Amino acid sequence: MRILTTLAAAAFATAAIADGHLPDLDGREIVVVTENAYPPLQFIDGNGDAVGWEYDAMAEIAERLNATIVYENISWDAMIPAVSEGQFDLGMTGITIREDRAEVVDFSDKYMTSEMVMMVRGDENRFADAASFAADDDLLMAAQPGTTPFYVGVYDVLDGDEANPRIKLMETFGATVQALRAGDVDLVLTDGTAGNGYVDASDGGLKIIGEKLGTEDFGFFYPRGSDLVAPINAAIADMWSDGTIEALITKWFLDYKLGQ
Amino acid sequence: MIPTSPNDDDFPWWLVAVVAIGLYLFWQVLTVAEYSRVLSTLRRGIWVTIYVTLVSYTLACLLGLGLALAQISRSLILRQISRFYIEVVRGIPIIVLLLYVAFVLAPAMVVAWNWVLQSLGFDPIRTRDFSLLWRAVIALTIAYASFLAEVFRAGLQSVDEGQIEAAESLGLSRWQRFRFIVFPQALRTILPPLGNDFVAMVKDSSLVSVLGVTDVTQLGKVTAAGNFRYFETYNVVALVYLPITITLSLALRRFEKRMRER
Repeated sequence: MRILTTLAAAAFATAAIADGHLPDLDGREIVVVTENAYPPLQFIDGNGDAVGWEYDAMAEIAERLNATIVYENISWDAMIPAVSEGQFDLGMTGITIREDRAEVVDFSDKYMTSEMVMMVRGDENRFADAASFAADDDLLMAAQPGTTPFYVGVYDVLDGDEANPRIKLMETFGATVQALRAGDVDLVLTDGTAGNGYVDASDGGLKIIGEKLGTEDFGFFYPRGSDLVAPINAAIADMWSDGTIEALITKWFLDYKLGQ
Repeated sequence: MIPTSPNDDDFPWWLVAVVAIGLYLFWQVLTVAEYSRVLSTLRRGIWVTIYVTLVSYTLACLLGLGLALAQISRSLILRQISRFYIEVVRGIPIIVLLLYVAFVLAPAMVVAWNWVLQSLGFDPIRTRDFSLLWRAVIALTIAYASFLAEVFRAGLQSVDEGQIEAAESLGLSRWQRFRFIVFPQALRTILPPLGNDFVAMVKDSSLVSVLGVTDVTQLGKVTAAGNFRYFETYNVVALVYLPITITLSLALRRFEKRMRER
Protein backbone atom coordinates (compact mmCIF):
# COMPACT_ATOMS: atom_id res chain seq x y z
CA MET A 1 0.00 0.00 0.00
CA ARG A 2 2.72 2.43 0.97
CA ILE A 3 4.72 1.51 -2.11
CA LEU A 4 1.66 2.29 -4.18
CA THR A 5 1.31 5.69 -2.52
CA THR A 6 4.98 6.44 -3.09
CA LEU A 7 4.78 5.32 -6.70
CA ALA A 8 1.66 7.38 -7.22
CA ALA A 9 3.33 10.38 -5.63
CA ALA A 10 6.43 9.93 -7.77
CA ALA A 11 4.34 9.65 -10.92
CA PHE A 12 2.44 12.71 -9.86
CA ALA A 13 5.68 14.62 -9.24
CA THR A 14 6.97 13.88 -12.70
CA ALA A 15 3.64 14.88 -14.14
CA ALA A 16 3.72 18.07 -12.11
CA ILE A 17 6.96 19.29 -13.61
CA ALA A 18 5.91 18.12 -17.04
CA ASP A 19 2.65 20.06 -17.04
CA GLY A 20 4.44 23.10 -15.66
CA HIS A 21 2.16 23.82 -12.72
CA LEU A 22 5.19 23.70 -10.39
CA PRO A 23 8.30 25.83 -10.87
CA ASP A 24 11.38 24.04 -12.23
CA LEU A 25 14.46 24.98 -10.22
CA ASP A 26 16.71 23.45 -12.83
CA GLY A 27 18.78 21.27 -10.51
CA ARG A 28 19.56 24.16 -8.19
CA GLU A 29 21.42 23.29 -4.98
CA ILE A 30 19.53 24.03 -1.76
CA VAL A 31 21.55 23.90 1.45
CA VAL A 32 19.25 22.63 4.21
CA VAL A 33 20.34 22.79 7.84
CA THR A 34 18.96 20.65 10.65
CA GLU A 35 20.03 19.23 14.02
CA ASN A 36 18.55 15.70 13.88
CA ALA A 37 17.25 16.13 17.41
CA TYR A 38 13.47 16.09 16.90
CA PRO A 39 12.00 12.65 16.28
CA PRO A 40 10.17 11.68 14.19
CA LEU A 41 10.76 14.81 12.07
CA GLN A 42 14.53 14.42 11.93
CA PHE A 43 16.62 12.16 14.13
CA ILE A 44 19.36 9.56 14.19
CA ASP A 45 17.91 6.06 14.01
CA GLY A 46 19.33 2.90 15.61
CA ASN A 47 21.76 2.46 12.72
CA GLY A 48 23.14 5.96 13.14
CA ASP A 49 21.43 7.25 9.99
CA ALA A 50 19.70 10.62 9.79
CA VAL A 51 16.05 9.95 8.86
CA GLY A 52 12.55 11.26 9.49
CA TRP A 53 9.39 12.88 8.20
CA GLU A 54 11.13 16.08 7.15
CA TYR A 55 13.87 14.23 5.23
CA ASP A 56 11.21 12.38 3.25
CA ALA A 57 9.20 15.55 2.68
CA MET A 58 12.29 17.46 1.58
CA ALA A 59 13.26 14.69 -0.85
CA GLU A 60 9.75 14.85 -2.27
CA ILE A 61 9.90 18.64 -2.64
CA ALA A 62 13.31 18.41 -4.31
CA GLU A 63 11.98 15.90 -6.80
CA ARG A 64 8.89 17.95 -7.63
CA LEU A 65 10.88 21.15 -8.09
CA ASN A 66 13.93 19.53 -9.70
CA ALA A 67 16.32 20.71 -6.98
CA THR A 68 19.33 19.12 -5.26
CA ILE A 69 19.42 19.06 -1.48
CA VAL A 70 22.65 19.32 0.51
CA TYR A 71 22.32 18.74 4.26
CA GLU A 72 24.34 20.51 6.94
CA ASN A 73 24.10 20.17 10.72
CA ILE A 74 23.91 22.89 13.30
CA SER A 75 22.53 23.00 16.81
CA TRP A 76 19.06 24.38 17.51
CA ASP A 77 20.47 27.37 19.46
CA ALA A 78 22.56 28.50 16.51
CA MET A 79 20.10 27.69 13.73
CA ILE A 80 17.89 30.78 13.52
CA PRO A 81 20.83 33.24 13.58
CA ALA A 82 22.72 31.20 10.98
CA VAL A 83 19.75 30.96 8.60
CA SER A 84 18.72 34.58 9.06
CA GLU A 85 22.27 35.59 8.17
CA GLY A 86 21.96 33.63 4.95
CA GLN A 87 24.53 30.96 5.81
CA PHE A 88 22.03 28.29 4.79
CA ASP A 89 19.11 28.34 2.37
CA LEU A 90 16.56 26.61 4.55
CA GLY A 91 16.14 25.52 8.17
CA MET A 92 14.26 22.30 8.86
CA THR A 93 13.65 21.64 12.53
CA GLY A 94 9.94 21.30 13.24
CA ILE A 95 9.77 24.97 14.08
CA THR A 96 6.54 26.74 14.98
CA ILE A 97 5.56 29.57 12.63
CA ARG A 98 5.55 32.62 14.88
CA GLU A 99 5.24 36.33 14.20
CA ASP A 100 8.22 37.33 16.33
CA ARG A 101 10.42 34.87 14.47
CA ALA A 102 9.07 36.12 11.14
CA GLU A 103 10.85 39.39 11.87
CA VAL A 104 14.21 37.67 11.31
CA VAL A 105 13.36 34.80 8.95
CA ASP A 106 10.72 33.98 6.32
CA PHE A 107 8.48 30.95 6.85
CA SER A 108 7.00 28.47 4.43
CA ASP A 109 3.30 27.62 4.59
CA LYS A 110 2.59 25.07 7.30
CA TYR A 111 3.34 21.46 6.51
CA MET A 112 2.11 20.02 9.78
CA THR A 113 0.02 20.91 12.79
CA SER A 114 1.34 19.73 16.10
CA GLU A 115 -0.55 19.27 19.33
CA MET A 116 1.14 19.15 22.70
CA VAL A 117 0.43 16.55 25.36
CA MET A 118 1.23 16.68 29.07
CA MET A 119 3.87 14.20 30.22
CA VAL A 120 4.20 13.50 33.95
CA ARG A 121 5.78 10.91 36.24
CA GLY A 122 3.98 7.56 36.32
CA ASP A 123 2.82 8.05 39.92
CA GLU A 124 1.56 11.63 39.49
CA ASN A 125 -1.86 12.18 41.11
CA ARG A 126 -1.83 15.85 42.18
CA PHE A 127 -3.16 17.16 38.88
CA ALA A 128 -4.94 15.74 35.87
CA ASP A 129 -5.06 18.59 33.36
CA ALA A 130 -3.62 22.01 32.51
CA ALA A 131 -6.01 23.92 34.76
CA SER A 132 -5.27 21.90 37.88
CA PHE A 133 -1.54 22.14 37.15
CA ALA A 134 -1.72 25.92 36.80
CA ALA A 135 -3.80 26.26 40.00
CA ASP A 136 -1.14 24.74 42.28
CA ASP A 137 1.84 27.09 42.70
CA ASP A 138 4.06 24.28 44.01
CA LEU A 139 4.01 22.47 40.67
CA LEU A 140 6.82 23.17 38.21
CA MET A 141 7.37 22.45 34.54
CA ALA A 142 10.49 22.37 32.36
CA ALA A 143 11.04 23.43 28.75
CA GLN A 144 13.75 24.27 26.25
CA PRO A 145 13.58 28.07 25.82
CA GLY A 146 12.21 29.34 22.52
CA THR A 147 10.58 26.05 21.55
CA THR A 148 6.94 25.14 20.97
CA PRO A 149 6.52 23.37 24.35
CA PHE A 150 7.88 26.51 26.00
CA TYR A 151 5.35 28.81 24.33
CA VAL A 152 2.45 26.45 24.85
CA GLY A 153 3.52 26.11 28.48
CA VAL A 154 3.65 29.86 29.00
CA TYR A 155 0.52 30.88 27.09
CA ASP A 156 -1.80 27.87 27.27
CA VAL A 157 -0.91 26.34 30.62
CA LEU A 158 0.53 29.13 32.79
CA ASP A 159 -0.30 32.83 32.91
CA GLY A 160 1.37 34.17 29.75
CA ASP A 161 4.42 35.51 31.61
CA GLU A 162 7.53 34.22 29.82
CA ALA A 163 9.56 34.90 32.98
CA ASN A 164 7.27 32.83 35.19
CA PRO A 165 9.56 31.06 37.68
CA ARG A 166 7.41 27.93 37.52
CA ILE A 167 8.83 27.14 34.09
CA LYS A 168 12.42 25.87 34.38
CA LEU A 169 14.56 26.37 31.29
CA MET A 170 16.96 23.68 30.10
CA GLU A 171 19.42 23.23 27.29
CA THR A 172 17.90 20.20 25.57
CA PHE A 173 14.52 18.51 25.49
CA GLY A 174 16.08 15.34 26.86
CA ALA A 175 17.28 17.28 29.90
CA THR A 176 13.74 18.43 30.65
CA VAL A 177 12.54 14.83 30.59
CA GLN A 178 15.40 13.79 32.88
CA ALA A 179 14.48 16.62 35.28
CA LEU A 180 10.91 15.33 35.25
CA ARG A 181 11.99 11.79 36.07
CA ALA A 182 14.34 13.02 38.80
CA GLY A 183 11.51 14.99 40.43
CA ASP A 184 12.96 18.46 39.81
CA VAL A 185 9.87 19.40 37.86
CA ASP A 186 6.41 17.88 37.57
CA LEU A 187 5.41 18.44 33.96
CA VAL A 188 6.94 18.47 30.50
CA LEU A 189 5.00 19.31 27.35
CA THR A 190 5.81 17.39 24.22
CA ASP A 191 4.18 16.51 20.97
CA GLY A 192 2.37 13.20 21.12
CA THR A 193 4.89 11.16 19.15
CA ALA A 194 7.97 12.03 21.16
CA GLY A 195 5.86 11.75 24.31
CA ASN A 196 4.84 8.20 23.49
CA GLY A 197 8.45 7.38 22.70
CA TYR A 198 9.59 8.52 26.15
CA VAL A 199 6.68 6.81 27.91
CA ASP A 200 7.42 3.51 26.15
CA ALA A 201 11.11 3.72 27.04
CA SER A 202 10.43 4.54 30.71
CA ASP A 203 9.02 1.24 32.04
CA GLY A 204 6.11 2.98 33.73
CA GLY A 205 8.18 5.91 34.97
CA LEU A 206 6.25 8.35 32.78
CA LYS A 207 2.69 8.75 31.53
CA ILE A 208 0.62 11.15 29.46
CA ILE A 209 -2.41 12.85 30.97
CA GLY A 210 -5.14 15.34 30.09
CA GLU A 211 -6.36 16.81 26.85
CA LYS A 212 -4.19 17.88 23.96
CA LEU A 213 -3.06 21.49 24.20
CA GLY A 214 -2.36 24.43 21.89
CA THR A 215 -2.05 23.59 18.23
CA GLU A 216 1.13 24.80 16.57
CA ASP A 217 1.82 25.05 12.85
CA PHE A 218 5.24 23.90 11.68
CA GLY A 219 7.06 25.38 8.70
CA PHE A 220 10.44 25.51 7.06
CA PHE A 221 12.28 28.80 7.37
CA TYR A 222 14.53 30.82 5.11
CA PRO A 223 16.65 33.98 5.17
CA ARG A 224 14.43 37.05 4.74
CA GLY A 225 13.44 37.64 1.11
CA SER A 226 14.45 34.15 -0.08
CA ASP A 227 13.27 33.29 -3.61
CA LEU A 228 12.66 29.71 -2.44
CA VAL A 229 9.53 30.61 -0.46
CA ALA A 230 7.15 30.60 -3.42
CA PRO A 231 8.32 27.43 -5.21
CA ILE A 232 8.49 25.39 -1.99
CA ASN A 233 5.05 26.65 -0.93
CA ALA A 234 3.74 25.49 -4.29
CA ALA A 235 5.26 22.05 -3.72
CA ILE A 236 3.82 21.89 -0.18
CA ALA A 237 0.35 22.79 -1.50
CA ASP A 238 0.76 20.06 -4.09
CA MET A 239 1.73 17.54 -1.40
CA TRP A 240 -1.27 18.50 0.77
CA SER A 241 -3.67 18.07 -2.11
CA ASP A 242 -2.42 14.72 -3.42
CA GLY A 243 -2.20 13.11 0.02
CA THR A 244 1.60 12.85 0.21
CA ILE A 245 1.74 14.73 3.50
CA GLU A 246 -0.91 12.47 5.03
CA ALA A 247 0.96 9.39 3.80
CA LEU A 248 4.20 10.61 5.37
CA ILE A 249 2.43 11.36 8.64
CA THR A 250 1.06 7.81 8.67
CA LYS A 251 4.51 6.43 7.91
CA TRP A 252 6.44 8.33 10.60
CA PHE A 253 3.85 9.06 13.28
CA LEU A 254 1.83 5.85 13.27
CA ASP A 255 3.80 3.02 11.62
CA TYR A 256 7.36 3.84 12.59
CA LYS A 257 8.50 2.51 15.97
CA LEU A 258 10.75 5.09 17.60
CA GLY A 259 13.56 4.33 19.99
CA GLN A 260 14.11 0.74 18.87
CA MET B 1 64.48 20.16 41.46
CA ILE B 2 60.72 19.58 41.76
CA PRO B 3 59.94 18.09 45.17
CA THR B 4 58.49 14.59 45.15
CA SER B 5 55.07 14.16 46.68
CA PRO B 6 54.53 11.37 49.26
CA ASN B 7 52.01 9.46 47.15
CA ASP B 8 54.40 8.97 44.23
CA ASP B 9 55.28 5.44 45.30
CA ASP B 10 51.72 4.40 46.18
CA PHE B 11 50.43 1.40 44.34
CA PRO B 12 47.81 2.86 41.92
CA TRP B 13 44.75 1.18 43.40
CA TRP B 14 42.61 3.93 41.90
CA LEU B 15 43.74 2.82 38.46
CA VAL B 16 42.87 -0.80 39.22
CA ALA B 17 39.41 0.39 40.28
CA VAL B 18 38.99 2.55 37.17
CA VAL B 19 40.10 -0.24 34.85
CA ALA B 20 37.85 -2.79 36.56
CA ILE B 21 34.80 -0.52 36.46
CA GLY B 22 35.66 0.53 32.92
CA LEU B 23 35.93 -3.06 31.72
CA TYR B 24 32.63 -3.95 33.38
CA LEU B 25 30.88 -0.97 31.76
CA PHE B 26 32.39 -1.72 28.36
CA TRP B 27 31.22 -5.30 28.67
CA GLN B 28 27.74 -3.93 29.42
CA VAL B 29 27.92 -1.60 26.46
CA LEU B 30 28.92 -4.39 24.14
CA THR B 31 26.27 -6.84 25.33
CA VAL B 32 23.23 -4.61 25.97
CA ALA B 33 21.64 -3.72 22.64
CA GLU B 34 20.62 -0.15 23.57
CA TYR B 35 24.12 0.71 24.73
CA SER B 36 25.92 -0.86 21.82
CA ARG B 37 23.72 1.00 19.32
CA VAL B 38 24.62 4.25 21.08
CA LEU B 39 28.31 3.39 20.96
CA SER B 40 28.23 2.60 17.26
CA THR B 41 26.73 6.05 16.58
CA LEU B 42 29.14 7.87 18.91
CA ARG B 43 32.13 6.18 17.31
CA ARG B 44 31.73 8.44 14.30
CA GLY B 45 32.32 11.45 16.51
CA ILE B 46 35.58 10.25 18.06
CA TRP B 47 37.71 11.41 15.14
CA VAL B 48 36.02 14.80 15.16
CA THR B 49 36.77 15.14 18.89
CA ILE B 50 40.40 14.11 18.39
CA TYR B 51 40.81 16.31 15.33
CA VAL B 52 39.32 19.39 17.00
CA THR B 53 41.46 18.79 20.10
CA LEU B 54 44.75 18.28 18.26
CA VAL B 55 44.37 21.13 15.78
CA SER B 56 43.07 23.63 18.35
CA TYR B 57 45.76 22.68 20.84
CA THR B 58 48.60 22.93 18.35
CA LEU B 59 47.43 26.33 17.11
CA ALA B 60 46.84 27.50 20.69
CA CYS B 61 50.42 26.46 21.64
CA LEU B 62 51.86 28.50 18.78
CA LEU B 63 49.73 31.56 19.50
CA GLY B 64 50.31 31.15 23.24
CA LEU B 65 54.07 30.97 22.80
CA GLY B 66 53.95 34.10 20.65
CA LEU B 67 51.94 35.91 23.32
CA ALA B 68 54.36 34.76 26.05
CA LEU B 69 57.35 36.00 24.06
CA ALA B 70 55.55 39.31 23.59
CA GLN B 71 55.07 39.38 27.37
CA ILE B 72 58.80 39.25 28.04
CA SER B 73 59.81 41.35 25.05
CA ARG B 74 61.55 44.71 25.39
CA SER B 75 58.77 46.49 23.50
CA LEU B 76 56.20 48.16 25.72
CA ILE B 77 53.60 48.01 22.92
CA LEU B 78 54.00 44.24 22.43
CA ARG B 79 53.86 43.64 26.17
CA GLN B 80 50.68 45.69 26.52
CA ILE B 81 48.95 44.16 23.50
CA SER B 82 49.72 40.69 24.78
CA ARG B 83 48.48 41.48 28.29
CA PHE B 84 45.32 43.03 26.84
CA TYR B 85 44.62 39.87 24.85
CA ILE B 86 45.32 37.49 27.71
CA GLU B 87 43.26 39.35 30.31
CA VAL B 88 40.26 39.93 28.04
CA VAL B 89 40.10 36.46 26.53
CA ARG B 90 40.79 34.68 29.82
CA GLY B 91 37.92 36.63 31.36
CA ILE B 92 35.28 35.46 28.87
CA PRO B 93 33.63 32.02 29.16
CA ILE B 94 34.64 29.75 26.27
CA ILE B 95 31.03 29.14 25.28
CA VAL B 96 30.52 32.88 24.79
CA LEU B 97 33.72 33.16 22.76
CA LEU B 98 32.51 30.26 20.65
CA LEU B 99 29.28 32.04 19.73
CA TYR B 100 31.11 35.33 19.06
CA VAL B 101 33.57 33.62 16.76
CA ALA B 102 30.89 31.64 14.95
CA PHE B 103 28.46 34.47 14.30
CA VAL B 104 30.45 37.69 14.50
CA LEU B 105 34.12 37.03 13.82
CA ALA B 106 33.69 34.34 11.15
CA PRO B 107 31.28 36.37 8.95
CA ALA B 108 33.58 39.39 9.38
CA MET B 109 36.57 37.27 8.32
CA VAL B 110 34.66 36.16 5.24
CA VAL B 111 33.88 39.78 4.34
CA ALA B 112 37.54 40.74 4.76
CA TRP B 113 38.71 37.72 2.81
CA ASN B 114 36.27 38.51 -0.03
CA TRP B 115 37.52 42.08 -0.12
CA VAL B 116 41.02 40.73 -0.74
CA LEU B 117 39.82 38.08 -3.21
CA GLN B 118 37.76 40.49 -5.26
CA SER B 119 40.50 43.06 -5.51
CA LEU B 120 42.60 40.21 -6.96
CA GLY B 121 39.77 39.33 -9.35
CA PHE B 122 38.64 36.02 -7.77
CA ASP B 123 35.07 34.92 -7.02
CA PRO B 124 33.96 35.68 -3.46
CA ILE B 125 33.29 32.87 -1.00
CA ARG B 126 30.10 32.53 1.05
CA THR B 127 29.89 32.57 4.83
CA ARG B 128 28.66 28.98 4.76
CA ASP B 129 31.89 27.89 3.07
CA PHE B 130 33.59 28.62 6.39
CA SER B 131 32.68 25.41 8.19
CA LEU B 132 31.36 25.40 11.73
CA LEU B 133 34.09 22.95 12.67
CA TRP B 134 36.78 25.48 11.78
CA ARG B 135 34.94 28.28 13.53
CA ALA B 136 34.91 26.09 16.63
CA VAL B 137 38.62 25.34 16.22
CA ILE B 138 39.40 29.06 15.96
CA ALA B 139 37.35 29.81 19.07
CA LEU B 140 39.08 27.09 21.11
CA THR B 141 42.46 28.30 19.82
CA ILE B 142 41.74 31.88 20.85
CA ALA B 143 40.56 30.77 24.30
CA TYR B 144 43.34 28.31 25.07
CA ALA B 145 46.10 30.57 23.72
CA SER B 146 45.44 32.88 26.66
CA PHE B 147 45.83 30.06 29.22
CA LEU B 148 48.87 28.61 27.50
CA ALA B 149 50.50 32.04 27.17
CA GLU B 150 50.52 32.28 30.96
CA VAL B 151 52.00 28.78 31.24
CA PHE B 152 54.77 29.67 28.79
CA ARG B 153 55.44 33.03 30.43
CA ALA B 154 55.70 31.52 33.91
CA GLY B 155 58.08 28.88 32.57
CA LEU B 156 60.29 31.34 30.73
CA GLN B 157 60.47 33.63 33.75
CA SER B 158 61.32 30.74 36.06
CA VAL B 159 64.77 30.43 34.47
CA ASP B 160 67.38 31.91 36.80
CA GLU B 161 68.66 35.38 35.83
CA GLY B 162 72.21 34.17 36.44
CA GLN B 163 71.88 31.68 33.59
CA ILE B 164 71.04 34.44 31.17
CA GLU B 165 73.83 36.68 32.43
CA ALA B 166 76.29 33.81 32.08
CA ALA B 167 75.14 33.20 28.53
CA GLU B 168 75.48 36.89 27.76
CA SER B 169 79.01 36.91 29.10
CA LEU B 170 79.83 33.97 26.85
CA GLY B 171 78.80 36.14 23.91
CA LEU B 172 75.64 34.24 22.88
CA SER B 173 73.17 36.24 20.80
CA ARG B 174 69.63 36.91 22.02
CA TRP B 175 68.23 34.10 19.85
CA GLN B 176 70.97 31.67 20.94
CA ARG B 177 70.31 32.51 24.61
CA PHE B 178 66.63 31.72 24.10
CA ARG B 179 67.19 28.59 22.03
CA PHE B 180 70.01 26.95 24.02
CA ILE B 181 69.74 28.31 27.55
CA VAL B 182 66.29 29.64 28.45
CA PHE B 183 63.93 27.42 26.47
CA PRO B 184 65.35 23.99 27.42
CA GLN B 185 65.24 24.91 31.11
CA ALA B 186 61.83 26.55 30.87
CA LEU B 187 60.45 23.44 29.20
CA ARG B 188 60.78 21.45 32.45
CA THR B 189 58.47 23.90 34.19
CA ILE B 190 56.18 24.31 31.21
CA LEU B 191 55.47 20.71 30.23
CA PRO B 192 53.41 19.47 33.18
CA PRO B 193 50.84 22.30 33.10
CA LEU B 194 50.88 22.15 29.31
CA GLY B 195 49.87 18.50 29.54
CA ASN B 196 47.11 19.31 32.00
CA ASP B 197 45.71 21.83 29.58
CA PHE B 198 45.81 19.23 26.83
CA VAL B 199 43.62 16.91 28.88
CA ALA B 200 41.35 19.87 29.62
CA MET B 201 41.18 20.59 25.89
CA VAL B 202 39.95 17.06 25.17
CA LYS B 203 37.02 17.75 27.46
CA ASP B 204 36.43 21.34 26.38
CA SER B 205 36.33 20.23 22.75
CA SER B 206 32.83 19.04 23.67
CA LEU B 207 31.78 22.70 23.65
CA VAL B 208 31.75 22.57 19.86
CA SER B 209 28.46 20.69 20.19
CA VAL B 210 26.89 24.09 20.93
CA LEU B 211 27.38 24.87 17.24
CA GLY B 212 26.21 21.42 16.16
CA VAL B 213 29.65 20.14 15.13
CA THR B 214 29.18 16.37 15.24
CA ASP B 215 31.73 15.42 17.88
CA VAL B 216 31.09 12.73 20.48
CA THR B 217 29.01 15.04 22.67
CA GLN B 218 26.81 16.36 19.86
CA LEU B 219 26.18 12.82 18.63
CA GLY B 220 25.26 11.94 22.21
CA LYS B 221 22.81 14.84 22.23
CA VAL B 222 21.07 13.81 19.01
CA THR B 223 21.18 10.12 19.93
CA ALA B 224 19.46 10.84 23.25
CA ALA B 225 16.85 12.91 21.41
CA GLY B 226 16.07 9.98 19.11
CA ASN B 227 16.22 6.98 21.45
CA PHE B 228 14.57 8.65 24.48
CA ARG B 229 17.26 7.13 26.73
CA TYR B 230 18.96 10.24 27.99
CA PHE B 231 20.90 8.84 30.92
CA GLU B 232 22.06 5.67 29.17
CA THR B 233 23.31 7.69 26.22
CA TYR B 234 25.37 10.07 28.33
CA ASN B 235 26.83 7.10 30.24
CA VAL B 236 28.29 5.94 26.95
CA VAL B 237 29.49 9.48 26.15
CA ALA B 238 31.43 9.54 29.44
CA LEU B 239 32.78 6.09 28.73
CA VAL B 240 34.14 7.26 25.38
CA TYR B 241 35.97 10.24 26.90
CA LEU B 242 37.44 8.49 29.93
CA PRO B 243 39.93 6.16 28.20
CA ILE B 244 41.28 9.12 26.22
CA THR B 245 41.66 11.46 29.20
CA ILE B 246 42.94 8.84 31.67
CA THR B 247 45.52 7.50 29.21
CA LEU B 248 46.75 11.04 28.64
CA SER B 249 46.95 11.74 32.39
CA LEU B 250 48.93 8.54 32.97
CA ALA B 251 51.34 9.34 30.16
CA LEU B 252 51.75 12.79 31.63
CA ARG B 253 52.57 11.43 35.11
CA ARG B 254 55.17 9.06 33.72
CA PHE B 255 56.69 11.88 31.79
CA GLU B 256 56.84 14.15 34.84
CA LYS B 257 58.50 11.37 36.83
CA ARG B 258 61.16 10.93 34.19
CA MET B 259 61.79 14.65 34.14
CA ARG B 260 62.33 14.65 37.91
CA GLU B 261 64.73 11.74 37.75
CA ARG B 262 66.92 13.41 35.18
